[in-house]
Amino acid sequence: MKSVMNASLKSFLKSAAGALLGFFIGLIICKLAGESPIKVLKVLYQSSFGTGYDFGMTLFYTAPLILTGLAVAIPFKAGLFNIGAEGQLTIGALAAAWAGVLGAHLQSPAIAIGFAFILSFLAGGVWGAIPGYLKAKRGSHEVITTIMLNFIAAGATAYFTLYSIKDPDSSQAETIPIPPVFHLKPFQIFNGAPMGELILVLIGIVLLLHFILWNSVWGYELKAIGENERAAETYGISKQKVWLSSMFVAGGIAGLVGVVEVLGNAHRFKIGFSADYGFVGIAVALVARGNILGILPSAFLFGILQKGAGSLDLETDKVTRDLSYIIQGLIILGVASEGIWDSLKLIRRKKNA
Amino acid sequence: MSAIEFRGVSKRFGNFYANRNLSFQVKTGTIHGLIGENGAGKSTAMKALFGIYPLDEGEILVQGKPAKIRNPVHAMKFGIGMVHQHFMLAGTETVLDNIILGHEPGWIWIKRDQALSELKKISTLYGLHFEKWDHPVSSLSVGEQQRVEILKLLYQRSDVLILDEPTAVLTPQEVKELFQNLKKLKDEGKTIILISHKLKEVLEFTDAITVMRRGESVGTKVTAETNEDELAQMMVGRPVSFTYQGERKMFANASDMKPVVRIRDLSVESSTEPVKKVSFELRPGEILGVAGVQGNGQSELLRYLTDPKKFTKSAQGEYFFQGQDASHLGPLEIRAKGMGLVPEDRLSEGLLLQQDMTENFLLGQHQDSRYQKNGLLLRKKATEAVNAKIKEFDIRPPFTTVWSGRMSGGNQQKLVIARALDSNPSVLYVAHPTRGVDVGAIEKIHDAIVQERNRGKAILLFSSELDELMDLCDRMLVFFNGEIRSEYKRSEFDTWSIGRVMGGGDR
Repeated sequence: MKSVMNASLKSFLKSAAGALLGFFIGLIICKLAGESPIKVLKVLYQSSFGTGYDFGMTLFYTAPLILTGLAVAIPFKAGLFNIGAEGQLTIGALAAAWAGVLGAHLQSPAIAIGFAFILSFLAGGVWGAIPGYLKAKRGSHEVITTIMLNFIAAGATAYFTLYSIKDPDSSQAETIPIPPVFHLKPFQIFNGAPMGELILVLIGIVLLLHFILWNSVWGYELKAIGENERAAETYGISKQKVWLSSMFVAGGIAGLVGVVEVLGNAHRFKIGFSADYGFVGIAVALVARGNILGILPSAFLFGILQKGAGSLDLETDKVTRDLSYIIQGLIILGVASEGIWDSLKLIRRKKNA
Repeated sequence: MSAIEFRGVSKRFGNFYANRNLSFQVKTGTIHGLIGENGAGKSTAMKALFGIYPLDEGEILVQGKPAKIRNPVHAMKFGIGMVHQHFMLAGTETVLDNIILGHEPGWIWIKRDQALSELKKISTLYGLHFEKWDHPVSSLSVGEQQRVEILKLLYQRSDVLILDEPTAVLTPQEVKELFQNLKKLKDEGKTIILISHKLKEVLEFTDAITVMRRGESVGTKVTAETNEDELAQMMVGRPVSFTYQGERKMFANASDMKPVVRIRDLSVESSTEPVKKVSFELRPGEILGVAGVQGNGQSELLRYLTDPKKFTKSAQGEYFFQGQDASHLGPLEIRAKGMGLVPEDRLSEGLLLQQDMTENFLLGQHQDSRYQKNGLLLRKKATEAVNAKIKEFDIRPPFTTVWSGRMSGGNQQKLVIARALDSNPSVLYVAHPTRGVDVGAIEKIHDAIVQERNRGKAILLFSSELDELMDLCDRMLVFFNGEIRSEYKRSEFDTWSIGRVMGGGDR
């Protein structure tokens, strides 16, 4: 147990060092572009922690990334690469909006919000389970099917938004607003930023999933299939069951982005609301190295950068939004180039020899 | 003149010496055996020779001159080549393309004709009799693939050929053929280094043998002047017995006991090798051996016995386990009825290499009520159990947190066997229990198997080592071409008779 903790701590430190390295290179590029790195750091700090509102907004950007990061990391443990979080969250968000239509008569906020929660989870889960099922039954590769289902999700949600539950009073492509009983209340200290108790719930979900994956028989089977499919099957673990269930859970968790967006922020479903959360989630999971707890700092880091991208664009002369994305990319590269540490060690050893 | 000489070579990993002051010479134009237990430093020495690991101390001489080899490609320039245990071939490409890969003649277009005529010359010169140049590699037998690897080295003009455990995957006939070929190469002046842990082979086919233990050379012997016992003692550091020395309990009414496994007219369709109309019974207190050259249906039989559910469409016949029809059950259900399994290949079928011992111990037992409650694993209990097994089976290193992939073959196998025995099964399906296992561990494993028999367990033992089967079994079934060709009682065991049946002949 102790060595497990040490190993994951070590891998976390490696990630953090990689992220710092990438960030450092990013600052050098800002310098080359003619902007003082100190100023960049200051702006980033101000934009993410400066006021209650800023911090609330940072958390608002972080929340969907926690969910999509999980949606990538969980199937990854079972050896699956889920590129479909984007589609799963879109379906989940439409389901959250639809919960408002179906539950228009509901009086109790707890029941209403719970209803939307469950509907988003189920809708995203079913959407995620489709590639799981196709892989289990027909051997279709999940990377292909999840990508394709992203397009289908975009088309299908657009159709339902425009033809089934469109807001007749709006000229935008958006659904009927959900009744106030569904609204999530933001914290006062965030001064208008749309984030409240929900962030605590999301942290709770991360902790719960960490516990389940490490302690449950289900988590064990997931890991066994992911590590050695043939051995796991020889000892009676069904890969079909594992693929289907892990993709269902992943899709469901991605679907909860709908709760963050629809119940917490827009109070309706808008076509194209997602800032590529599903794809940034892949980076979040990568930086966390598949470690479930690592999703939290990793998503927060990307939340800061997403929030900061806008501020940097406005408050500096040279650092545009595109340059911010370059910095994000460098951080991912820094973490991904794990081999760098080993080769640094080797160089040091050779010098000593 | 030495083709290769190690002079005081040391290679450290941290404080651990994988090779320490290693010195030995390989004479030109000989077959030289390099033997030692797993982890004795044989592969480190070879990796040092190929420049994969830089040396910490000492030097390596090639043809009498100090050589600083930087990497395997560079090693080719010194005329050194290696046939790895797992072949490095592209299965879908032709034999010719595999051989010339990296050394294609021609500049823009590959001059395959030129390469082919050269290869034909090489093949005749060394008497290798190879014809299938335009066949895809995947259509060749394992023995033929190995010959392709050797041809590749000859085409690259290697003078020193290193073969890593070349016989591990071969049938007895192929082994014989391989060594005939190696002898021809030797006669043409090539030098061959044979890495192996099979003492019999090394004794039969080499000119000299270097024994390694704990990274050092224990000594180099002229093959004609040594024997199995001496080599084994050098390898392990203590005398080793090759036959089971313990008690063998007699069961008075053995043949009256009710069979625990009954197979009748079992046929299994398979893309590899079908099982055809097989019938046998397995009783408590006996070890029933399944002999046969690899690839005659034994693997398919074992796979069926452990997971008949998977074969509901492709198998016919009866499978009774503990008196009940088992032909529709999955691995966990049969296990729950009292099956323990030691699978054929522990690396691909038995272990999670990047998980620790506890996690590996749980594999297959993860739904057992002893190790889970309400869907949550009881890891503490599992770890306690593993600690007890570590003591019982002398598993090393003795820490439950070690990744199974970092353990030696023998210790991995002990872990797999300990896991199979943990649920106190009444039936054990054991396949190749000592394959790739060091001599010291073989004794322990054989002891454990016979002791289970003495406790009244029914054991079905699959092995490609006839000596092992003859030593341990009470009865033996000989497979050929998917059928049971003959059955032998212990009193009838005879190497030559069984060997004939294994090859498709008569008793």
